[in-house]
Amino acid sequence: MTRYLRLYLHFLRFSFSRSLEYRMDFWFRIVMDCMFYAVELIFFTVLYQHTDLLGGWNYDQVLIFVAGYLVIDAIHMTVFSNNLWWLPIYVNKGDLDYYIVRPVSSLFFLSLRDFAANSFLNLILAGGILAWAILRYPGELGTINLLWFLFLILNGNLLHYILQMYFMIPVFWTHTNRGLVMAFFSATKLMERPDRIYPKWTRRILMTIFPVLLVIALPARVLFDGPDPLLIAQILGVTAIAFLGMRAFWNLALRNYSSASS
Amino acid sequence: MSLSLFFHLVNLESRKLMSYRVDFWITMLVNLVVNLVVLWALWTAIFAESGAEIVGGWDLPGILAYGVMVFLTGRIVRGGDLQMTISTDIYDGALSRYLLYPRHYAITKYAQQVGNVMPDLFQSVLMGLVAIPVLGLSTTATVTPLSVAMVIPTILVAHLLFFLMSLIPQYIAFWADNVWSLSVLLRFVTMLLGGAMLPLSLFPDRVQEFLHWLPFVYLFEFPTLVVLGKVDFTQWCIGIGTCLLWCLVIGALSVPVWRRGDLRYTGVGI
Repeated sequence: MTRYLRLYLHFLRFSFSRSLEYRMDFWFRIVMDCMFYAVELIFFTVLYQHTDLLGGWNYDQVLIFVAGYLVIDAIHMTVFSNNLWWLPIYVNKGDLDYYIVRPVSSLFFLSLRDFAANSFLNLILAGGILAWAILRYPGELGTINLLWFLFLILNGNLLHYILQMYFMIPVFWTHTNRGLVMAFFSATKLMERPDRIYPKWTRRILMTIFPVLLVIALPARVLFDGPDPLLIAQILGVTAIAFLGMRAFWNLALRNYSSASS
Repeated sequence: MSLSLFFHLVNLESRKLMSYRVDFWITMLVNLVVNLVVLWALWTAIFAESGAEIVGGWDLPGILAYGVMVFLTGRIVRGGDLQMTISTDIYDGALSRYLLYPRHYAITKYAQQVGNVMPDLFQSVLMGLVAIPVLGLSTTATVTPLSVAMVIPTILVAHLLFFLMSLIPQYIAFWADNVWSLSVLLRFVTMLLGGAMLPLSLFPDRVQEFLHWLPFVYLFEFPTLVVLGKVDFTQWCIGIGTCLLWCLVIGALSVPVWRRGDLRYTGVGI
């Protein structure tokens, strides 16, 4: 475990020094993410000009929900996004060989090697928006609810990464996964809306088979309605099962990998 | 550039994209299902929870029709988005090859972008055939043969406008090491301010007035209103004229950026 932690600190150091070499891109990316945050907030602000509730949530609640989603997106962009972008290229060029032969988990190395330092600033900004949304909330949220919410946001991040991996791993067989990746990004729209707007059966599917509602919508419910043990067990249980399934899928893919470079 | 050469480039590009058939069908299917589910769930919830029968001048079937149409027409218009095409040519040195061609680089790229649209056009027609009967009829929007005929040139002009808008962020690649963020930034701005995420009639009045002075409205909202029969012939002519004027302005703005960038360019990888 300490070996992995030390390795990750090295990743961080390299990533920061690399990102500072490309200063213009550094600032472009910050502006882009700020615009993404603004667009999401404006979208819901305009909707609430025409309704008081959406999926049972008022404007103050939906702001926290959106801010939570922005934090998850910022963590994903910072920690995983660059790495997942490179994965199909490594597979197709045969560069994966360099990672498989190393004495650490290839999944760990390939998922966490590139830390996007420029997105890290946006993570701070997204965290600030979440803090602002929570502080301006007129009701009482409760410390326990808040702690569970923050913990479940981290869990939601892991789940988001796992789900994306399910769409990435087929590249070992298909050699191009552009369609699947586009499909995943399209499907993430489902998680950007309050869960109760969906009909019963759609909700059930989105909480089990393709559990995008567990990423942020249900953690927000825990914050507003209190920690329901069954709901929390479902969120953590589905994440654990999804993770084990993804690991098995990854190992199967590695067994099918034949280097393109040899 | 002769028309036959232009259409030859269009043909080549669309055949290249259609060759990835699995990608083509997966993207289409997931996009259609997700968009219909989100659109239907969101607007049904808003109408139910607000208790209103009309929101921003639209009834529920009308706003659903808007959502579907803006998605279908928007896919074609966004086909004009260069994404990373030009910047990749600049970084890889592939631009050198195009500079030797007897045609301007931007025109060659435009022909290729029109080719990119063909799969989107095919998908949009297929999706429309599925989605429109599912959503039912509206009292605030009607698709007629005339509105369909009017929307074709509208989309063509909107596509050209999007192409021209995405030129300058791509030309920045002559100076910057990575312009992917600029390309995505343009997409965010145009989606919100062009009416792709929401009808602009839902924005407060003053904001609406301001947005109609910008070119973004001609990318998504205007073609959608045309196909839904919300624009009469005079408004349509004025809209097309204004959109072409924006094309001229933005195209003219891109010329000095190209000239300066071209002087700075050093070809590698030949």
